[in-house]
Amino acid sequence: MAPSSSPMPGRLLVLYASQTGNAIDAAERVVREAERGGCPAVDLLSMDSFNPSCLPGEGYVVFVVSTMGQGDPPDSMKEFWKYLRRKHLGARWLERLHYAVFGLGDSSYGNYNLPAKMLDKRLLDLGAEQIIPKGLGNDQHSLGYEGALDPWLMALWKSLNQIYPSLLPRISHAIHSSLNILGDAKVEVTYYSAPQDSTISDPKTLIERARSISPALKCHNEGEPQLMLQMVTNQCLTKGDSDKDVRHFELEDRCYPISYQVGDVLEILPSQNPSAVDDFIKRCKLDPECYIMIQEKSVDKLSKGSHMNSLVDPIKLKTFVALTMDVTSASPRRYFFEIMSHFATDENEKEKLQYFTSPEGRNDLYSYNQKENRTVLEVLEEFPSVHMPFEWLVQLTPPLKKRAFSISSSPLVHPNQIHLTVSVVSWRTPLKRTRHGLCSTWLAGLCPSEENIIPCWIQRGSLPPPRPSIPLVLIGPGTGCAPFRTFVEERAAQSVAEPTAPILFFFGCRNQDNDFLYKEFWLNHAQDQGVLSLEKGGGFFVAFSRDQPQKVYVQDKIKEQGARVLNMLCSEEAAIYVAGSSTKMPADVTVALKEVLCQHGGFPKKDVEGWLTKLKMGGRFIIETWS
Amino acid sequence: MKEAESFGDQLVAEISRVLKAGGTVLVQSFTASSDHKPNNYIERQLLMGGFVEVQSKSTGSHDGVQSVTIKSRKPSWSMGSSSPLKKAIKQALPETEIDDDGDELIDKDSLLTQDDLKKLQRPVVGGCEMGATKKARKACKNCSCGRAEAEQKVEKLGLTAEQIDNPVSACGSCGLGDAFRCGTCPYRGLAPFKLGQKVTLSNNFLSADI
Repeated sequence: MAPSSSPMPGRLLVLYASQTGNAIDAAERVVREAERGGCPAVDLLSMDSFNPSCLPGEGYVVFVVSTMGQGDPPDSMKEFWKYLRRKHLGARWLERLHYAVFGLGDSSYGNYNLPAKMLDKRLLDLGAEQIIPKGLGNDQHSLGYEGALDPWLMALWKSLNQIYPSLLPRISHAIHSSLNILGDAKVEVTYYSAPQDSTISDPKTLIERARSISPALKCHNEGEPQLMLQMVTNQCLTKGDSDKDVRHFELEDRCYPISYQVGDVLEILPSQNPSAVDDFIKRCKLDPECYIMIQEKSVDKLSKGSHMNSLVDPIKLKTFVALTMDVTSASPRRYFFEIMSHFATDENEKEKLQYFTSPEGRNDLYSYNQKENRTVLEVLEEFPSVHMPFEWLVQLTPPLKKRAFSISSSPLVHPNQIHLTVSVVSWRTPLKRTRHGLCSTWLAGLCPSEENIIPCWIQRGSLPPPRPSIPLVLIGPGTGCAPFRTFVEERAAQSVAEPTAPILFFFGCRNQDNDFLYKEFWLNHAQDQGVLSLEKGGGFFVAFSRDQPQKVYVQDKIKEQGARVLNMLCSEEAAIYVAGSSTKMPADVTVALKEVLCQHGGFPKKDVEGWLTKLKMGGRFIIETWS
Repeated sequence: MKEAESFGDQLVAEISRVLKAGGTVLVQSFTASSDHKPNNYIERQLLMGGFVEVQSKSTGSHDGVQSVTIKSRKPSWSMGSSSPLKKAIKQALPETEIDDDGDELIDKDSLLTQDDLKKLQRPVVGGCEMGATKKARKACKNCSCGRAEAEQKVEKLGLTAEQIDNPVSACGSCGLGDAFRCGTCPYRGLAPFKLGQKVTLSNNFLSADI
């Protein structure tokens, strides 16, 4: 988790834990009202980007938490919540903190709003001061969670104002804020019709410049892309009628050597379809060729922001849109629709937008927007009378995000190349509209014989590079095999110079003939004393789920090879790594591992569970999944 | 052993059965000096049969015939014996929930009121955020109640050629876009269009062709 910056006096921190976006919407509203009330510093963070050990240093925190399933906290709250429950923290740990909790739940399910209730009690037990009692939003209420949020926010501002008046100098604005008053956009855009003397032409610099002035990317601090790669190989790994399309990509840097290590992840900034970008600009009646400068408006006119940006060169509007504003893949937030309603001149459109942003229309908005993966461009095309000023578009259009892929090559074997194993994503929405993954589709369309530029950053992944002497049990069905191709390649190279420990690898796919990714590669390493060979104490086992009437998965193979798995785990320092794109697979695999230990090893279940937990703590049992 | 191939699975399994845990088996093989394959085969058989610490040693050569002794051990981690794993598992921490840094955590239930505890429902079932994601219920794969048939009927109400070529709308909203269409509108899922003009079916397919 990223450490939070040191708290400024009078900062209000809003921490949210959202699953489907409702808690973010509610949290954003808290922030807007605080800003309207003149709060000098408000920060909005997801709970999983805030380090809980920094909590004692905060003065004022508002928590907005959703409920999942049977009273569980959302995924983004799990780590934070675990930390808060440590026994040793003590009754005075948060004695300097003033807080308030708002929960979102549904009383027709059991275990109503449990995360909010438990969080509120725990904070009290840790010595924090409650600004007002917890608010519990209920979907069963005729106005949804807003039914509870409206009065709760009112009470919050009033109480806060009494405790610390300078936190909300314009409290009347916060309390009487009405949805019908349109505030100001957060940024100022200055337009230049002709290129300035020093126009940036280097693509790396362009990317860095554009993304550093985007308000939606404010906390990202990416800097320039580390690498600008060229695709030299684009190979389809799947065959036949397989509705899966998995590619093997090889990327190279034409100018510089690439430095990376086993287990690393490549973050890629995808290109958007240029004609879609043009359509967006045309729809918004903007001039693609003009140059712009973006500055954050701040309450304090002497803030650093305005100084810094005046030294920065303007950038072409079209470039800014293409590099930072996601107009063809991400869906806009509810607040985007709210601002749209202010700028709709057609009565029907205005009415529909107001309905969508009302508590009654929230479910319909969810069906229309999130479930259909509506893009900003699509939404604007369905509400043609809406003409949102560019400042608002800049502020509210979802930012173009980087996509991360596990690297599937070893730098020992391919010192100047990075290989990727990418599934080209496509799906159908409830209304049967076909959607395509932006990045995977773009990469799949790149031609190695043409020049292309792929802006990338290298990050450490969660699977650490194992020392050659560590026996490995690897489980990676489908594209989960990508990081393990790296491990096997690397270990094979290392085994030339020194003795290496064996690897037991479980792979899974649908059909031997269709999607057996890297078949030759694995088989080669499983023969002739290779790192996956039985002779070396290793093994390679594949589950073809659809090649026979009954389903066979990696967990079934693990159980089948129980003796071998047990043997590996008994070796000193053995590690288990699991990777893949399914959310159920890791749980199924864990169950299979436990079964193997209990049945083949004869150990009692309780001991086995404790041992696996210990293994997790020691970094020897790691699960890396992606969606 | 004169012929390595006779060292088959059944023989290995039988040796394993009669041998005590921790016991050792010695296999002596006589082969032509240049031929290593039979020994590899025997080693592999032992490994697959669950034996550990397989070691080969050359024990003499006579008249061009190599004698090799292959030694291996039946693992000793059956119930009751202590192996490194068994020790590790015994020493593992008790079943209380532990944080990644090894700290013990408080019991969640202690944070709830009596009222909440009474209404508590277990077990945990993974699911979606409540409320907004009321998913449409679909027929099961082996549906016998007729729901599947009903769903099939709705699906088949696709667009006719006439509706594509010359779209008309009694309500006037069909051409407006999904935000304005009724739940049963046959044009749902399509981009907005003008009534009377032929409908394009490309569904806002924004692919990234560069």
